[in-house]
Amino acid sequence: MRGLTKEYVLQRFLMYLLTIWLGSTLIFVIPRLAPGDPVSAMVGRLSLDAGYIENADELIASWKARFGLDAPIHVQYFRYWGNVFRLNFGYSLSHFPTEAWTMVRGALPWSLGLLTVATVLSFSIGVTIGSLMGWRRTPRWLQLILPSSLTFTAIPYFMFGIMLIYLVAFELDWLPATGAYSRRVDPGWNLPFIKNVLTHAILPVVSIVLTSMGGWALGMRGLMISVNNEDYFLLAQVKGLSPSRIFFRYGVRNAILPALTALALGLGGLISGSILVEFIFAYPGTGYTLYQAIISQDYTVTQAIANLIILVTATSVFLLDLLYPFIDPRITYKRDMR
Amino acid sequence: MTAGQQTVDEETTPARGWGLNTWDSPWLNFKFLLGVAIVGLILLFGLLGPLFWDTDLAYTGAGPLNKPPVWQEGGLPEHPLGTESNGRDMLAQLILATPSSLKVGFLAAIIGMGIGMVLGSVAGYVGGWWDHVIRTLSDSAVTIPALVVLVVIASYVQMTDTTAMALILAAFAWPGPTRLVRSQILTLRERSYVRMAHLSGAPALEIMFVEMLPNMLPWLAASLTGGISVAILSATGLEVLGLGPTRVPSLGLIINQATTNAALVRGLVWWWLPPIIILMVIFVGFFLMTIGLDEIANPRIRQFSSTRRERTAAGEMPPVEHVDDRAEGGKDDSLAVDDLHVHYFTPRGEIIAANGVNFSVRKGEILGLVGESGCGKTTVAMAILQVVQPPGRIVQGAVRIEDQDLVSLSGKALREVRWRDLALVPQGAMNSLNPVTPIREQMGDAILAHENVGRMELEARILGLLNDVGLPERVIDMYPHELSGGMKQRVCIAMAIALNPQVIIADEPTSALDVVVQRVVAQTLLEVKERLGVSMVMIGHDMGLQAQLVDRIAVMYAGNLVEVAPVESAFAEPLHPYTQLLIESIPSIKERKPLNVTEGLTHDLRNPPPGCIFQFRCKHVEQICRERRPELVEREDDHLVACWLYEPERHSLIELDEA
Repeated sequence: MRGLTKEYVLQRFLMYLLTIWLGSTLIFVIPRLAPGDPVSAMVGRLSLDAGYIENADELIASWKARFGLDAPIHVQYFRYWGNVFRLNFGYSLSHFPTEAWTMVRGALPWSLGLLTVATVLSFSIGVTIGSLMGWRRTPRWLQLILPSSLTFTAIPYFMFGIMLIYLVAFELDWLPATGAYSRRVDPGWNLPFIKNVLTHAILPVVSIVLTSMGGWALGMRGLMISVNNEDYFLLAQVKGLSPSRIFFRYGVRNAILPALTALALGLGGLISGSILVEFIFAYPGTGYTLYQAIISQDYTVTQAIANLIILVTATSVFLLDLLYPFIDPRITYKRDMR
Repeated sequence: MTAGQQTVDEETTPARGWGLNTWDSPWLNFKFLLGVAIVGLILLFGLLGPLFWDTDLAYTGAGPLNKPPVWQEGGLPEHPLGTESNGRDMLAQLILATPSSLKVGFLAAIIGMGIGMVLGSVAGYVGGWWDHVIRTLSDSAVTIPALVVLVVIASYVQMTDTTAMALILAAFAWPGPTRLVRSQILTLRERSYVRMAHLSGAPALEIMFVEMLPNMLPWLAASLTGGISVAILSATGLEVLGLGPTRVPSLGLIINQATTNAALVRGLVWWWLPPIIILMVIFVGFFLMTIGLDEIANPRIRQFSSTRRERTAAGEMPPVEHVDDRAEGGKDDSLAVDDLHVHYFTPRGEIIAANGVNFSVRKGEILGLVGESGCGKTTVAMAILQVVQPPGRIVQGAVRIEDQDLVSLSGKALREVRWRDLALVPQGAMNSLNPVTPIREQMGDAILAHENVGRMELEARILGLLNDVGLPERVIDMYPHELSGGMKQRVCIAMAIALNPQVIIADEPTSALDVVVQRVVAQTLLEVKERLGVSMVMIGHDMGLQAQLVDRIAVMYAGNLVEVAPVESAFAEPLHPYTQLLIESIPSIKERKPLNVTEGLTHDLRNPPPGCIFQFRCKHVEQICRERRPELVEREDDHLVACWLYEPERHSLIELDEA
């Protein structure tokens, strides 16, 4: 009755597969729906940059054959899925002997580390602020101070990042501006390296956390206000429970449920935003690698990274979904979970 | 929440039609209007700019290279915001770029909203298989990291102009609105006014546009402004990465050119900062609109902010006036309510919900507190429990249990008295239990807040209590959603007797239950009372139920007690005209008679008339009733009434006044 039911897990798993299918298919289909084909478009781009390309038509034909783009569309599609499943995206075009997947794998830990830290921080800080803002018993001075934490909410991460680089890294010279670590330290499990990595991560993390926590705070404030008006919240007061118990077990415990749903839904946006943060900070994660692959026309790496990011996002959402029934005992009863 | 908000929180009143022309409209939200003004100004800058400035300067080689703005050393008056490394004039670039960035956002979000409204209406209205497919698709589409897919698409497809980009962005803008429209339709469809419209045979489209759309409008608008900023953000993101249209100036493209030309390191602040500032102002504008619209859409948030403001405006709550030395209450009273005044401080004036309420509950007695909805009986219950919700406040009076005035207690002292001496069986048992914790924890924390009990003993006590109210032991580990309404109400009763309190307030304990379960719950309450000798205040409007349960009855009308009497004499010989009306209205099988409802409604609670509170509905009304308020006086043995009819001297009293 409680916890995970077979039906629930199956349903969530199907959603998980659907999300991956939808995302990967979009990547496959949309370029082919567009006027012209990917290769012509790429050659067109090249000729824009270079002015003129000799034998453009032959080049297009040979590239098409090279990528199997001359096959019928359904054959291409099945081939594409075979490759996605085997994580086989072919060789990188710009770093030829290296496989696309190898390049992606090198970038993944940096992004995962950066994003996990940033997301956990922004979510927990935001939820705390929002809960306090939506609680009637929060001390007055705190009620006056807390809204100031929302100042940066409206600013996109990367713009804030640019300004942080300019102020903190260039003008004040307090922290390094770009990269994940300096060249002068040896990568490995040694203290100077770890310290170096952490100092490099501060600015990107701060730019994500400061700009995104306000969103969680605002949402949580609204949820907390709703809970404030619930009958069980009133009964908890009448029972003579301590304010902290009412706040945590009756207030936050109920208000956080929709916030967790919002977190699962918002992960896609968060990860999207991180591409730009990595670009601005030249942080060697998947987002930056994606950018480099695109400017160097590295078609295979681009596809590999896009699929990987979709996979990681969908997996995180799936894991959050599996966690949910343990936090909300009603979940298997509700037909509309979101 | 500051000035400019003149809204009243009548959240039950649905919007019907489009009446946007009143000054009371919730659309006059300060944040929303400020946001509109900000975005409007930016738009004007982009639209009117070309009239005042030569935008041809936005192209390569139009001026000298890397000149700072005019207020810095080396700045030139013909390039007031400076030039960048290709000699392009910054002001001209910004004028051209601003409207194109805004256009992409508006176009993408509006197309996405259109798709969302169609899909969401189909899902919400048609339902069934369609609903399933649309919901599943939008649920999974919303988790796809849109920018990643966009980046890949943009790397293949050359986006020649902003319209093409907007179309592609719209492909990612529909899931949010779809989900919103669907859930709003599902919620609104259940509302009574929409059902009424259905029953009256209004066509579906009319219902959609007249009954539903106005109520959805703030939500839709919030979703639209949110969608516009997301679209502008995505478009700018692509431009910053150099993947947008490269021949049309855009704010993101300026940032891209600045960063790729190392403008940050070279100190060319005037190159990268102005487009960022314009974008930030745009985002702040849309953000203000979105949160303003959230407040418009959600009256609770409005109410929360406004009550805080009012509390601040009124300064700290003044101490309640003390009415001491009124210890005339007998020794066998377990609860005494003295001259209780509760006011609600609304923007349109003070609502007097309890006006000098006086009564006491004797040991082991059930006192019934009755009256029609809105007469203030629940307010009195909340005031006894010291949980009057803002903007309400106890302005005067005392609530005594064993010579302790609860109104003067606060913090820890109040917490100790609560539940130990004074427990509550709540009105809505449906929502009175915490949905996410098992019964064990909810009963346990009430006990543990007041007593030091070991784990084994605690479990034994909870099981004993459940047994007392006739519930099986397995209930202890169940969650509220696994219990029926009657079971939940009995859990609440078990919880109320956990500490063997002096007084239990039962606030319409059976109102939401069906008739058979009502009996069971009422029986349980009676048994508990007999066994524990606890005193009870039983609040309700069901006179039939009251007649069977209570020992004495107190009748309330518009915030005032009008009659307090033992139940037998109250029913046999009601004195107050209002009590007579209540008793007449009890349906009887033996004799069917037309319902006797007197003309006239309750007066405006903000502005009670001089004289008797019931004068507008009373058929015995006389001159004195309109001039002087009758006091609650004992007219027969233990039978109190506030009515001039029983004052033999009333005619001479009025002449005395005139003399």
